[in-house]
Amino acid sequence: MPPRSASAVVPLRGDLVRAHARKLHRTLRAVARRREAKKVILDFTDAGRIDSSGIAIISILSRKLAHGGRTLEFTKLEKHHEAALALLPKPTTDAVHEPEEPAPGRLERIGEKAIEAATSTRSLFGLIADTLRQTLGVITRRSRLPAGALTTQIALMGVNAIFIVGLLSFLLGMTMAFQGSVQLQRFGAGPFVADMIGVSMVREVGPLMTAVILTGRTGAAIAAELGTMQVRSEIDALSTMGIEPVRFLILPRMFSITIIGPALSLLGMFIGIAGGMMVAALTLDLPPTMFWSRIVERLSIGDFAHGVGKSLVFAWIIGMAGSHLGMRAGGDASSVGTATTRTVVVSIFYIIVVDAIFATVGLVLRTG
Amino acid sequence: MSDHVVECCGVSVGYDKPVLENVDLTVDAGEIVALLGGSGCGKSSLLRCMIGLLPPLAGEVRVLGESLYDLSPEKRSELLRRTGTAFQQDALFGSMTVGDNIGLPLRELTRLPNAIINEMVQLRLGLVGLEGLQARPPASLSGGQRKRAALARASILDPDVMFCDEPSAGLDPAIAAAIDATLLQFRAALGITIVLVTHELASIEAIADRAIMFGRGSVMARGTIPELKESTDEEVHNFFHRVAEQKPQTAMTR
Repeated sequence: MPPRSASAVVPLRGDLVRAHARKLHRTLRAVARRREAKKVILDFTDAGRIDSSGIAIISILSRKLAHGGRTLEFTKLEKHHEAALALLPKPTTDAVHEPEEPAPGRLERIGEKAIEAATSTRSLFGLIADTLRQTLGVITRRSRLPAGALTTQIALMGVNAIFIVGLLSFLLGMTMAFQGSVQLQRFGAGPFVADMIGVSMVREVGPLMTAVILTGRTGAAIAAELGTMQVRSEIDALSTMGIEPVRFLILPRMFSITIIGPALSLLGMFIGIAGGMMVAALTLDLPPTMFWSRIVERLSIGDFAHGVGKSLVFAWIIGMAGSHLGMRAGGDASSVGTATTRTVVVSIFYIIVVDAIFATVGLVLRTG
Repeated sequence: MSDHVVECCGVSVGYDKPVLENVDLTVDAGEIVALLGGSGCGKSSLLRCMIGLLPPLAGEVRVLGESLYDLSPEKRSELLRRTGTAFQQDALFGSMTVGDNIGLPLRELTRLPNAIINEMVQLRLGLVGLEGLQARPPASLSGGQRKRAALARASILDPDVMFCDEPSAGLDPAIAAAIDATLLQFRAALGITIVLVTHELASIEAIADRAIMFGRGSVMARGTIPELKESTDEEVHNFFHRVAEQKPQTAMTR
């Protein structure tokens, strides 16, 4: 132990390397706590090799001493010690690590979030405006979509999704019919299961189910694809070539999703009804012809318009969320993952909000 | 047991077919050796071979006395922890801050207390001139800063040998010189042996003790930089004296 005096000499023994880092750290921390020692001298006579961890521990000691107005000196250094200690930060008058800028406070963080949200919203509206402008250009034949892009996107988003949408709608129709028939039979209202399946599939479940599948399948794919292009500077390359990224990348996707959203939704409605029809025939002895006639009697064109209109809005939400968040991806791989996840979460959130609005407006129109 | 830090014996490297064949080379402790050659000559493939990413088509690669590709995957990982690699495209993790990137090997592979790890990261940041940038994401750094962060990460475990692929390519001369100085300091202070692939003549002259030049499918020349500069081999001479491979045949050239 060094003597308790104005200067403390600390002999260092052995290699000052990672394997002994904890012990050295403890020893030097104890030295730093000795306030009476105005000067600490590290004696390297018996010190061996020194690695980055050793240098870091000495650096911590040096900073702590400087903070208390005390000094650190070295003695009996060999050449390799000198070379290693040259990596220590150069002594400055304050000799204290000052962070570049203080961590933002709660208010600042809220402000940052608000600014970020405002920027994102502005960018979303900019994208929507740009998309509408470009759409007008395509409709009026002032510009055109990239050759083959629309059919490729329809195939990717729509044709390849038919099976999964069909299967899930069929299963959902069956499940609803099972659940419904058990409850309705208790009141002797079994045949009304057709009404229930028809209305719920057309007005609610068909569009919603299709939208959820499209979000996970298509929305995420749009965000991932555009995000990757952003990371690889492909979108910048398009801009520098004078090709509008919105017309080249987003328009084909929006046009496709506008077509396939309602189309898949209609498909889901009918297949779901078919699933319900099958269960009704098997469990309620309700013949398919009677089931169908009840549906034709119960459903109006307005119900289909409600369902298809809703699925059109859902499709736009999915397409826009994927495009907007994909285009806003940052410069690294993780931002693509974030864009994809956010697309799914944001899309489903707004789909449910819009669904609630449709339901409320529909109710008001019927009762009003 | 070999005394060489890196040793290639009759190594052939390539993907489908060899781009480099029958390469014999050694790197000794404390040396800085540059691997040179024209684009596509196979020097980066050879470097990948030395760091365990590309098995040789033939021959043996020994790193720190061990035959790299004869080791089990676990033993090879252990051996590679004694090496550091700075990739050409920096390979920083975008999901982490610069500080976390640099400290990652320490946090994953050592049991050092956080206070020491943080100090080591700070020192490395200072050493490569990135003080105060530890909380920034790598995407917000310039190309030169990212390269320096990659060097800091590659050296944080005080490796016995460091492999650097084009550490100063595409950087302005001042930054490139700073990177060269950092590499020299790594060797002086921490005794790190350095193998670097580079095209930068200024860097080669500033830091390399020896250079090995590849071309025509194998080692074309080797020696100290003054020796190579005096080489009578036309390709080596052209490389060091910046002579274009094919001079334009114009009426002006007489």
